[in-house]
Amino acid sequence: MTGTDFLALSPIIALAVGASVLLLQIAFLRNLKLTTGITVVTFLACLFFLFYITKLNHQTTPLLLVDPLSTFFSIVFVLCACITTFISYEYLKNRPGRNDEFFLLVVLATMGSIVLTYATHLASFILGLELMGIALYGLIAYPHQDDMSLEAAIKYLVLSGASSAALLFGFALLYAITGSLFFPDLLSGLASPEVAVGPQSPFWARQLILLGSALILAGISFKLSLAPFHMWTPDVYEGSPAPITGFLATISKGAVFAATLRLYVIGEFHNFPTIVTGLTILSIISILVGNLLALRQENIKRLLAYSSIAHFGYLLIALIAAGTLTPNGISAIEPSAYYLAGYIFTTLIATGLIAAISSSNNEENANLSDIAGLFWKNPLLALCLSVSLLSLAGIPLTAGFIGKLYIFQMGVEAGAWLLLSILIIGSGIGIYYYLRLIFSMTTDPSSSRSTLAPALPVTVSLITLTILVLYLGIYPQPLMEYLLWNT
Amino acid sequence: MENLPLVPLIPFVSAALLIATAGRLPKMVVGLLGAGSIAAAGLLVLNIGIEFLRDPTPMSIHLWTWISINEFKPAFAFYLDGLALVMMSVITGVGFLIHLYSTEFMQDDASFSRYFAYMNLFVSAMLILVLADNLLLMFLGWEGVGICSYLLVGFWYQDPANGAAARKAFIVTRIGDTSMALGLFLLVAELGTLNILEVAEIAKERWEVGATIPTIACALILGGGLGKSAQLPLQTWLPDAMAGPTPCSALIHAATMVTAGVYLVARNHELFMMSPLVMSAISIIGVATLLLAAFTALNQHDLKKILAYSTISQIGYMFLALGVGAYSAAIFHLMTHAFFKALLFLGAGAVIHCLHHEHDIFKMGGLRKKLPVVFWSFLIGSSALAALPFTSGWYSKDEILLATWSVPTLGPWLWAGGIAGAVLTAIYSFRLVFVVFWGEAKTIPDKQPGLRMSAPLIILCVFSIVGGLINMPLEQVFPSQTNAHAAGPVAWITMTIAIVGVLVSYLLYLRQQINVEPILNKPALKKLRYFWYSGWAMDALYDRLLVRPYKLTASLLKTELIDRFYNLIVESSVASHRALSITQNGKLRTYAINLVVGIALLAAFLTGIV
Amino acid sequence: MNPLIIPLSHVLMLAALLFTAGLLGLLIRRNVIFILMSLEVMLNAAALAFVGASAHWGQTDGQIILLLILTIAAAEVAVGLGLVLQIQRRFKTLDLDVVSRMRG
Repeated sequence: MTGTDFLALSPIIALAVGASVLLLQIAFLRNLKLTTGITVVTFLACLFFLFYITKLNHQTTPLLLVDPLSTFFSIVFVLCACITTFISYEYLKNRPGRNDEFFLLVVLATMGSIVLTYATHLASFILGLELMGIALYGLIAYPHQDDMSLEAAIKYLVLSGASSAALLFGFALLYAITGSLFFPDLLSGLASPEVAVGPQSPFWARQLILLGSALILAGISFKLSLAPFHMWTPDVYEGSPAPITGFLATISKGAVFAATLRLYVIGEFHNFPTIVTGLTILSIISILVGNLLALRQENIKRLLAYSSIAHFGYLLIALIAAGTLTPNGISAIEPSAYYLAGYIFTTLIATGLIAAISSSNNEENANLSDIAGLFWKNPLLALCLSVSLLSLAGIPLTAGFIGKLYIFQMGVEAGAWLLLSILIIGSGIGIYYYLRLIFSMTTDPSSSRSTLAPALPVTVSLITLTILVLYLGIYPQPLMEYLLWNT
Repeated sequence: MENLPLVPLIPFVSAALLIATAGRLPKMVVGLLGAGSIAAAGLLVLNIGIEFLRDPTPMSIHLWTWISINEFKPAFAFYLDGLALVMMSVITGVGFLIHLYSTEFMQDDASFSRYFAYMNLFVSAMLILVLADNLLLMFLGWEGVGICSYLLVGFWYQDPANGAAARKAFIVTRIGDTSMALGLFLLVAELGTLNILEVAEIAKERWEVGATIPTIACALILGGGLGKSAQLPLQTWLPDAMAGPTPCSALIHAATMVTAGVYLVARNHELFMMSPLVMSAISIIGVATLLLAAFTALNQHDLKKILAYSTISQIGYMFLALGVGAYSAAIFHLMTHAFFKALLFLGAGAVIHCLHHEHDIFKMGGLRKKLPVVFWSFLIGSSALAALPFTSGWYSKDEILLATWSVPTLGPWLWAGGIAGAVLTAIYSFRLVFVVFWGEAKTIPDKQPGLRMSAPLIILCVFSIVGGLINMPLEQVFPSQTNAHAAGPVAWITMTIAIVGVLVSYLLYLRQQINVEPILNKPALKKLRYFWYSGWAMDALYDRLLVRPYKLTASLLKTELIDRFYNLIVESSVASHRALSITQNGKLRTYAINLVVGIALLAAFLTGIV
Repeated sequence: MNPLIIPLSHVLMLAALLFTAGLLGLLIRRNVIFILMSLEVMLNAAALAFVGASAHWGQTDGQIILLLILTIAAAEVAVGLGLVLQIQRRFKTLDLDVVSRMRG
């Protein structure tokens, strides 16, 4: 290990140290405020190192590649994790039971997301994925007196475990054919058929590769909740404690997508027309199913779950179009990274607000009626939620608009007219249910009993995120140039 | 000059603050913030202006690229030249005086803070409009002022009539804006850019003068100008827009926003010169509008409506000037008009303010002694409006009419129209003065305008008189006028014609020496007068021609086929939502089956079995 | 180059059979314990495929993945059994169809 290796790993090391300190602190002294403080300091230290290595491009062992793009994703994830910590403290402070370990799990899950983002090898990929996944099982089931959260956790555990097994089996098949687990070499055997020294003829080698890819695609689609692997999403989102719904919808999905993006581009999966067609089908079904299921949904957590299905359908368009635009598929990176960052910030505002409402009542409030009259109770936060919903709907001057414009532009250039028409239909349906939420915020305040006045860090976080979303929508140039420069 | 972006930013920040605080600030602070921000912007403009006059080279400040799609990269960039400087000075200068005036005028209004938020937002949008270096950013400002105009016309929204007026203003200008947007699309498609300088450059290279595409593009863009500047055939909204508070009428519907169309054409004059046809159309529309509005103004008896029609008429003069290629004369008249029309509106506001919100001029009278400051303001403003010699309006209107005369073929006809309009202008403006300020007092004022209302009036009086002497730095912006000067008699008529109008008005309304009542009351003339009063019945015409057929179609469609098609979409969406929701039954085993089937299908598809 | 006595294709077939058996178990069983066991079978099927391929290529990479999978499976089952305890305590049953409340 050289000094550069250590530098490249410093964010992960910071989180590991933070997790150890938290373990010790919880063993000796239970104090929720202290635990929160240590968690925040850990994330800030991690952010510091991440900002320090923004320009670093370094392969640290075959397992991890630290490059500016992944560092950018990691910054987004750690920032969101930090905000999740504030929201969680607010959520936990008045709840019965010992809540300190919650933050330990949050740190571990975040660490998993960073490992996943940096992964270039199956070992690190699986390690990151499962570190995040197992920590999340714990987080979802954390309020274990709650029936719904138990149900959500066992559903997530069983289905996620099955999808991980499929993913692993798919990789095993690829490994059997090509003999490598390093992403860039994953399909190298296929590039020149005579090199393929599989157990069977080249035809069978190709079939096995495709079968393996199908299993991997299925596993990843499950984690990204693409239809038809989406069914777990609403139940798990609804049953989770609100801050963890946010974590699931933003960091967890974002990290899987970041890793997928890398696997797709450097593994050169876009050279297989059948895989691209498979992605197209997944994208179309996801957009339609996600938007249609969200249409009359009364529970905001479920609504966000369905809308996230649709949004990841939109994101796939960038991957599909990239292969036809540039031979190495690199043009997928800029639009999808931009879209993903916008989506994550936007969704965190919405889930954060749900968490804030749930915190103030010490119960899970995520129904449409719970945000009724929000414009009178807390105009500032209502404004934040409106901006977030408008961004999700893709209204101009928000990050969501620029992201969708980018994806649309790519689709036009690649001539993917079917996908684009589905995107337009989906966005049309989307506007209905997003605006429905905004309308319900303006309805009569007397109809709802809850009040809302979250603590300062939560308010500041939500406002910061809102400003970010608007900033990215009005002044997208710096981030675009940064992403372009990285590719 | 690097602080140029601050000029629109300061009012914007102030507006944002006022909106965010939502009327929780004390009125004192709101007033300071509202008027102070415009004052700060004005001082900044002064500073920039001094620097610019020392070194008058145009400059552009590129802030950031808005979006970048292939070659189309519209920027957030400001362009400063003589024209932008003149416009900025008018907006911030006159704007500040009107804001100052408003702090007293709106004193007792419950929505004091909301008023200033809108006004500041308007100033900011208007500044973006005139500073934009590309047509897309200009369009942002263009729509911004449209929104503010809508909000301010409907400011007293409790009265449904005001809401209707606001909607009318918005929808009618929207028709023009749509046309303008189409013109911009055409420019992007044909030229690949919306940068004003580049458009002019490429247009000259690529197109021949008088070709079809530039004519269509110019005509479409002109549509936007006609809507915003209330010219034929889109002039009907402006008189209704008087429903807003009077100072906002002074700022938006007299001094600045309504002249945006003039600015649009002047700014893109190189593009418009590619199409002589559109240029002739502009001058003819200008003359037609100025005559039509002047006749209507003569028959109105609502103080603000007279001023509204006179605004339409004066902008007609500016369009006339644009059409004959006298761009600096148009901008000159724009500036002087901003002074004297703001003065008249503020004066009218003072009259209305002091007279229990009375609008009918025939219920006023004899105010000469009662409201001396207002009287002198009106006298000076009306003199400038009528273009009496040596007032500011005289210089600018002369320039326009003389330039018109020397245009080949159409020139003398247009000139004659302009002269007729000048006589009418003099008649109706002095009719206003004589009826309101002389004669017997019918309503007694219950208060006097205070310092914050009087001071802007006095300052604007000074500018209305000496404004004609201001030398605008427009030499580099517009091509120099090479037209030969008009011959002696024409020049004399042009310069003195207004006096005739004043005399007629004197005889008719003050001396009442000629008793015209019996003639006027003849049925035929009465009908004609009513026809004029109703603005040449344009509203009724549009109502018959457009609104009613539209409503009829809408009510037919409400129950008919096309709507059923849309309902089908909605119903099928809801039905599929229900169907899909059933699959989401909460059973883990259903989900697992789904997962397995999904894996199997995907594997079968990728390996080519299906 | 092929140190494997049994052909790789046989190993892969066995692994595929095990994987399918696990999937079927997941579909058929209602009891949480059996579902968790099915999961284990699926994970170990993947592990077996890795070990076979690793031997075929004469590398250690696949065997390292085996160790990773074992660890992950252990962690997953640990959390899973914890949940099973809670479910038994709250619902007095291990039938997952009874536990399902959320829908729509």
